[in-house]
Amino acid sequence: MISLQFQLNGESVSLKTPADRRLLAILREDFDLTGAKPGCEVGRCGACMVWLDGAPANACLLMAWQLEGRSVTTVEAIAADARSEPVRAALAECGGLQCGYCTPGLVVTMTHLATRTPRPDAASACAQLAGNLCRCTGYGGIQRAVERLFPPPASAPAAADPSD
Amino acid sequence: MKPTDEDTLGHADLLARIRPRPDAADKLRAQVRYPTDRYMSAQGDVALHGAILGSPHPHARILAIDISAAAALPGVQAVVTAQDIPGRTHYGLRVIDRPILCADKVRCIGDPVAAVAADTLAIARAACALIRIEYAPLAVVEDPVAALLPEAEALHEGGNLLHAVQHGWGDLAQAMAAATHVVEDEYETPRQMHGYLETEGGIVEHDGAGGLTVHFACQHPARDAEVIADMLRLPAGKVRVIGTPIGGSYGGKDELTIQPIAALLAWKSGRAVRLQLSRPESVDLGVKRHPFRIHMRSGCDAQGRLLFHSVSLLADTGAYATHGPEILDAAQEHAVGPYAWPALAVEGRLAYTNNGIAGAFRGFGAVQTQFALERQISRLAKACGIDGLTFRQMNLTAPGALGPMGQVVAPFDGPQRVLDLLATHPLWLSRAPRDEGRYRHGIGLALVHRSDGFGRGGPNAAQIAIGLAADGAIEIRCGFTEMGQNLIDTVRVLGARLLGCAEGDLRAVLGDSARTPDSGSTAASRATAILWRGLGRHGHEWRKRLCALAAPQLGRTPDALLAAAGGIRDANGELLLSYASLANALGDALPELRISLEAEETPSEIAAAHYVFGACAALAEVRIDTWSGRAELTRMVIAAALGPVISPQGFLGQMEGGALMGAGMALTEHLPTAGGRYLARNLDGYLMPTVMDAPRFEIIAVQGLPEGDEIGPRGAGEIGVNIAAPAVAEAIAAALAMPVRRLPVLPDQILDHLCAEPAGMALAHADATESAR
Repeated sequence: MISLQFQLNGESVSLKTPADRRLLAILREDFDLTGAKPGCEVGRCGACMVWLDGAPANACLLMAWQLEGRSVTTVEAIAADARSEPVRAALAECGGLQCGYCTPGLVVTMTHLATRTPRPDAASACAQLAGNLCRCTGYGGIQRAVERLFPPPASAPAAADPSD
Repeated sequence: MKPTDEDTLGHADLLARIRPRPDAADKLRAQVRYPTDRYMSAQGDVALHGAILGSPHPHARILAIDISAAAALPGVQAVVTAQDIPGRTHYGLRVIDRPILCADKVRCIGDPVAAVAADTLAIARAACALIRIEYAPLAVVEDPVAALLPEAEALHEGGNLLHAVQHGWGDLAQAMAAATHVVEDEYETPRQMHGYLETEGGIVEHDGAGGLTVHFACQHPARDAEVIADMLRLPAGKVRVIGTPIGGSYGGKDELTIQPIAALLAWKSGRAVRLQLSRPESVDLGVKRHPFRIHMRSGCDAQGRLLFHSVSLLADTGAYATHGPEILDAAQEHAVGPYAWPALAVEGRLAYTNNGIAGAFRGFGAVQTQFALERQISRLAKACGIDGLTFRQMNLTAPGALGPMGQVVAPFDGPQRVLDLLATHPLWLSRAPRDEGRYRHGIGLALVHRSDGFGRGGPNAAQIAIGLAADGAIEIRCGFTEMGQNLIDTVRVLGARLLGCAEGDLRAVLGDSARTPDSGSTAASRATAILWRGLGRHGHEWRKRLCALAAPQLGRTPDALLAAAGGIRDANGELLLSYASLANALGDALPELRISLEAEETPSEIAAAHYVFGACAALAEVRIDTWSGRAELTRMVIAAALGPVISPQGFLGQMEGGALMGAGMALTEHLPTAGGRYLARNLDGYLMPTVMDAPRFEIIAVQGLPEGDEIGPRGAGEIGVNIAAPAVAEAIAAALAMPVRRLPVLPDQILDHLCAEPAGMALAHADATESAR
């Protein structure tokens, strides 16, 4: 058992837990945050994705000892954040979800991509979504949502970015 | 039937009509609780954690089981074996052969022998490791051919032949003699895995009244409740099964999974128990698509008229029957296709083996034979020098003709319609293979028809109910479960259309054995059609009943009232009484209309034959890397003749999702076994398509039906799978002039083909040579 302190959805939390216990189990069993789903538990399917210090990570691959002092944001907080609203709207309106089990992980990854600067293009965003498996949609609706969220630069208003 | 503008909905039309699923907002905010998200009972008790001890042997006798060390481990609350089952110990569908827990014999890796409920999952697993089981290994039956030899070790008392089928007509010998072109080959299809992201699991809790409540994903709650009640010797109604919502099923959760074991643990421990399979456990124990070996010999005359078709099927059903017999029946029926064969002979056998368990999977026996059949048809067309589309058009059965088993079927012209539509599609018109550096592009065409519902003699009857809830919602109550197919939207659309109310007046109540009537299984692409029939035929009765109940409240005669959007209205459409006010006035005497639908089957006395069919044709475009041998699906155009589209989003999603699943079967998905063991046990070794593998889809709904059609919508739940696997195979075959006998078409197969013939090494060159001839 280790004593552990980390930021969870913006609040400091502490617990005593075995050092090798997975973040996925901690979230679901100790905090009733069931938005992160077990799918493969080897980091392949992406159903358990969270943000670790703001970047997508599979909660099934993170052990308790790795969390000390880190910041974990789950889909429950991300989905309540207005920045995820365009992602949720695009998925809903394009038919990007069916059974919905992979959906929280997709929201986590896509919101991260949609809030990054510079924003990736659709092809790059798709490539980065290959870690989120969906078995229902055939990805048709997910591709349409990606195309809406990550339009080609030409169709976006020309931005004079001094860093370019 | 005269075509109208609405007869065909193109992809853009469908996209313009889709709208967020009713549950989209909750699912996107992770506010939906799946069965496996439950760690606590309704009373707030933290559930015990369950774990199953499965067999490490694919085939063995159980000589002794000693649970004493496990039971003594601190934190263990219950250990169960078959001895703890007070009632029925086995379950099954047509054949009852599956033990809830094995007592004397195990027949596949992971076959459950014992289970533990403990305070933590770690303790439950540690206790499983302390259970001592003495096994006497038996010969492993690995091959379905060997399984049927007399000397084979029998898995079950009746031997290894689970089911055999045979049908046909005409004079085969004469037709064979008359044929100008004959194609004969042996095809193989893979053991595909469902890959639902939510593994089997849920929670079983005590209801405080001597019964159990089971939250477990399933497709037929009433049946699960019956099996569990029978196991525990409980009266019917003492087990409530809530089977919805589901994190994916695709047929894999149609038969019971592990809920009886969870129920037994809850019963013995007296506590709520949560049980969920890990992914490797799920791979071992979950059913798979039946691998088929298909021998076909088919022929036509010099003009391209089909003359005969001879089919022999052998499928590996694994350790237990589950849906195996129905799947072989479907394979038999769909091996014939929508084609007119003057002479036909189909036979098939289903063999028990120790290769896991095969069972229901979207596409259900049909997709395997459709792949082989479409290969045969394309190869015959090529032999005749006729393009594949024309060849198919020439050989379709007439819309009013008998079906593939010789049965009377509902008149249907879908195959003609979808072929006619694709004949002018730009992708078809540009179908010649072309090279682009190391890549070769090819376009393939396939056509399938597929059945709706169960065959004759199957559990085709259904009950649904319409009720007024206390809050004024009009509830459509049915035992079907929501697994992503968007049944909840279908309920709203059909309810509004057929009950006269507004969509906002409606609520879907699904998949709860205590609150919904037994609608039969959410399977065989049947749920939408059942709702259409039930609400369509009884909607008028429901509206009359509401008016009769409202009349005394309003002091008017029922004839002057109309149940419409928002509530009861007068002849001028003025709202007199909202549904909420009506419900309030009625108090406890709320109406419920129970609707019983008799099985609607073919009148022909042919077992398992279907009455209703839908159809799809597709064009698939592949890009093949001639260096690596990898085939990539780049485009998929599907024309689907399934009658009126009820839920555009549901329709589009089912077609696209089904198609990629079928494409996966054609390109990457296969779970091989060695010595009865799966060679992959997780999603890193078993490759399902990612977003990078998805093609550009174009889905076209051909809504028109023959004049006088009484069936309405055909199910869209499976046919995407059925059409895609053959279409992708055809595209690869067209690109490389390759026979394509085995799915999936892995890179080594393509490289073998490219290397086998010297001309194949330089495709562009080979092509130039051919056109110069």
